[in-house]
Amino acid sequence: MDLTFSSRFQPLDKILIYDVFNNGYNGWMEIMPNFNEHPFFDEQPGILSKHQWPSLMLSTATFRYPGSHGSMSGQYSLKVSTRPIANRYEEMPAPGSLGQAIKRISFHNKKRKYLQFEAWFSYTAEQDKMDGTGDLPGLHESSIRAFGFGWDLQERGNRYFAGARYLNSVNGELKNKWQIVYPSSKDDEDWAFGTSGDWCVKGIDPFWYGRRYPDGRHDGFIDVKDGHQKLVYNETDCKLNWQYVRVLIDTEERKYVELQSGDTTFDLKDQPIYTVDSYARIDGLMNPLAWIETDTNRRVFLFLDSIVISQQ
Amino acid sequence: MRLFNAAPLELKKYFKEDFTTNHYEAGWASECIFFIMVEDIKGTGSSLIADVEISHDGMTWVKEGTQSGKIDKAGLHFIRVKHFGNWLRLNCHISGESPEFKLLIQIALKE
Repeated sequence: MDLTFSSRFQPLDKILIYDVFNNGYNGWMEIMPNFNEHPFFDEQPGILSKHQWPSLMLSTATFRYPGSHGSMSGQYSLKVSTRPIANRYEEMPAPGSLGQAIKRISFHNKKRKYLQFEAWFSYTAEQDKMDGTGDLPGLHESSIRAFGFGWDLQERGNRYFAGARYLNSVNGELKNKWQIVYPSSKDDEDWAFGTSGDWCVKGIDPFWYGRRYPDGRHDGFIDVKDGHQKLVYNETDCKLNWQYVRVLIDTEERKYVELQSGDTTFDLKDQPIYTVDSYARIDGLMNPLAWIETDTNRRVFLFLDSIVISQQ
Repeated sequence: MRLFNAAPLELKKYFKEDFTTNHYEAGWASECIFFIMVEDIKGTGSSLIADVEISHDGMTWVKEGTQSGKIDKAGLHFIRVKHFGNWLRLNCHISGESPEFKLLIQIALKE
């Protein structure tokens, strides 16, 4: 095994994905609505539109003053971004306030228990306006609401989502804590912000469904125990530090195992993963995801240097 | 193998007045085509003209000099750009009486 690879990552026995974005998009793309409506392939009707979510970019992380930041593995990283628009935290996400990267593959080996997501990433807000207060009025750390890493999965009879997000800021107030996907809504209608007849199902797409509350609670996520952690957000929005994250789940037991962020590991062992009945046509689906959401009317960015998905 | 990527900047969206597209980082590519697909057009004498804009930081923009012709029919239109640094977007001007365009604007990049 290459020394750089084995030093940066801790893969399980079987590596399904090893993508370094200095080499290209590697099949990652933005999440999109389903275009199935008669007669013009329009977006499937729903309470929440995804057609405003920006496309992924191969980014040099170029800023006004320092120029190009490059990436950890070269000059390019994969940039997940938002548009400069947000609703308050407790409202339904505004169209364009989220961006999500997805790669679509499927399982090929029945011997699978553990599934792991590893990434080197960085995050920042657009350095657009001097509108802050205090010692660093040009720092926009609190504009980043949340970002995360996980999966959309269907295997062995169930569809389910699992993953972790870093809740950074709620209506401008820093929270700096980790949460994991787990739905607490009463039913499908509650999950869809009280809308009956929407096509969503409780537990599916927790990134934009599930009610949110001004204290940072979210019906699609629960707090990681002792999950507060201050990540590296440098003194200015145009300084990036590359950081490590690892999410490990047990697909047999349908439970979380652990979350590692930087040099800190959080034990998730007693946390179940919520599952629903299979959807048509997607048995064996294994879609890793990475996403970011803005907290204010400012673009925010999640830069992905490299991702490893492995199973054992 | 050459690297190619197509990405939607605006997707099945209705426009009634001037707008700028979402921008895109294109530093890796040496060729760009903006595809402007007019899926529907309403109003009287409705037309659209798009200017290519470049930027050094993704926030401050200047015209690159390339401009589309007058777009006043449904169907596919395009603009070619060859020399652009990193950031690209279109600045679109809409005119006519009660104009409305339903657009898919795609950026196609190749190295």
